[in-house]
Amino acid sequence: MNKHFYAFGSICRGEIDRSSDIDLLACITGPNSDIDTAKFSVYQHERLRSLWAEGNPFAWHLHLESRLLFSSDGVDFIESLGIPAAYKAGEEDCEKFARLFSESLGQLSVTRVNATFNLSCMFLGTRNFATCYSLWRGHPVFSRNSPLLIDTPLSVDTEVLDVLTRARVLSTRGIGNALSDEEVMIARRSVPAIQAWMAQLLAEVRG
Amino acid sequence: MTEFNNRIAAQREILLTVNSAHWREELYGMSSGAIDRWLLANNIDRSSRLVSLLLEAAGKLFFLANKSQEQVTAEYRLRSSEVSGLTEEIRLALQRKN
Repeated sequence: MNKHFYAFGSICRGEIDRSSDIDLLACITGPNSDIDTAKFSVYQHERLRSLWAEGNPFAWHLHLESRLLFSSDGVDFIESLGIPAAYKAGEEDCEKFARLFSESLGQLSVTRVNATFNLSCMFLGTRNFATCYSLWRGHPVFSRNSPLLIDTPLSVDTEVLDVLTRARVLSTRGIGNALSDEEVMIARRSVPAIQAWMAQLLAEVRG
Repeated sequence: MTEFNNRIAAQREILLTVNSAHWREELYGMSSGAIDRWLLANNIDRSSRLVSLLLEAAGKLFFLANKSQEQVTAEYRLRSSEVSGLTEEIRLALQRKN
C-alpha cells in the first residue's frame, strides 16, 4: 500500500524555538503496523479525503502548511486533494474553544491544583479560537502565536502569552521550568482582556 | 459537550485525582513527556500499578500519541466509560499508596 510522509506546522513556517517540536504526518491505507504514533500523526488516506470534503481546519492546515518528505508512488497525495471545501464550522468551533477557555478558568478559580494544566487548556482555547476565527475570516493563521497575529489581535502583554505557552509545553511535552505562583497570577490578571476579545470576535462570527 | 471538550474534561478529572495527593511536583498532563517528568521529579517507580493505570488511560485518550496541532480537529473518539473506570482505579491505587 502507498505511504506518504509530510512535515507540517511550525517547521514549515520557519517558526522554530527551543520548545518547538517537529510535526510529522503519515498518510496510509490499511492497518498501521510499523509507524510510531508517538512521532507521527497517522491518518488514513480516506479520512483525509473526508476532512477535505468537510473543509475541516486540519485539512486547511495541511493544505497551507505541509511539505512532502516521502512518497512511495511519486504522488504528492495532499497536493492531489486540491483545495479543501469552504470552512463552515467557524461559529461552532469558536464557541467550542471559548468554552474550553471558560471551563478551564472556572477550575483555576476554584483550586490551585492542576493550575498548570488549566493554564495549558486556556492557552489551547485561546490559540485555537484565534486560528478558527482567522480561518472563518479567510486569512488563516496556524501559528502558536495566532492570537497576536490575526486581523483582530488579542492585546495582552507578551509575558502573559509566554506564561500560557510555557504551561502548554509543560503539559504536552513535560519541558521547561515549573510556573511560579506569581506567574499564575500574571496569567489570571489577563483573563478579562481575553474574555472581552473572545466576546467581540464571537459576536462577529455569529453575525 | 463536544468530543474534544469531553477528552479534556476526562484528562482534567484524572489529573485532579492524581494531583490531589501530595507530590514534589504536579503531573502537568497526560502526554508521555509530562508523565516521564512527573516520574522523575517524584522518584516514582515506573513499574507501579499507578503508573501502568496512568499510561493506559493516557493511551485511551490518545494523549501519548497526540500532536498539538491536531487538537483543532475532533479526530479522535473518546471511550468515556473505559476512561472513567480507569480514573476510579487510579483513585484506589492512590488511596492504597497513602
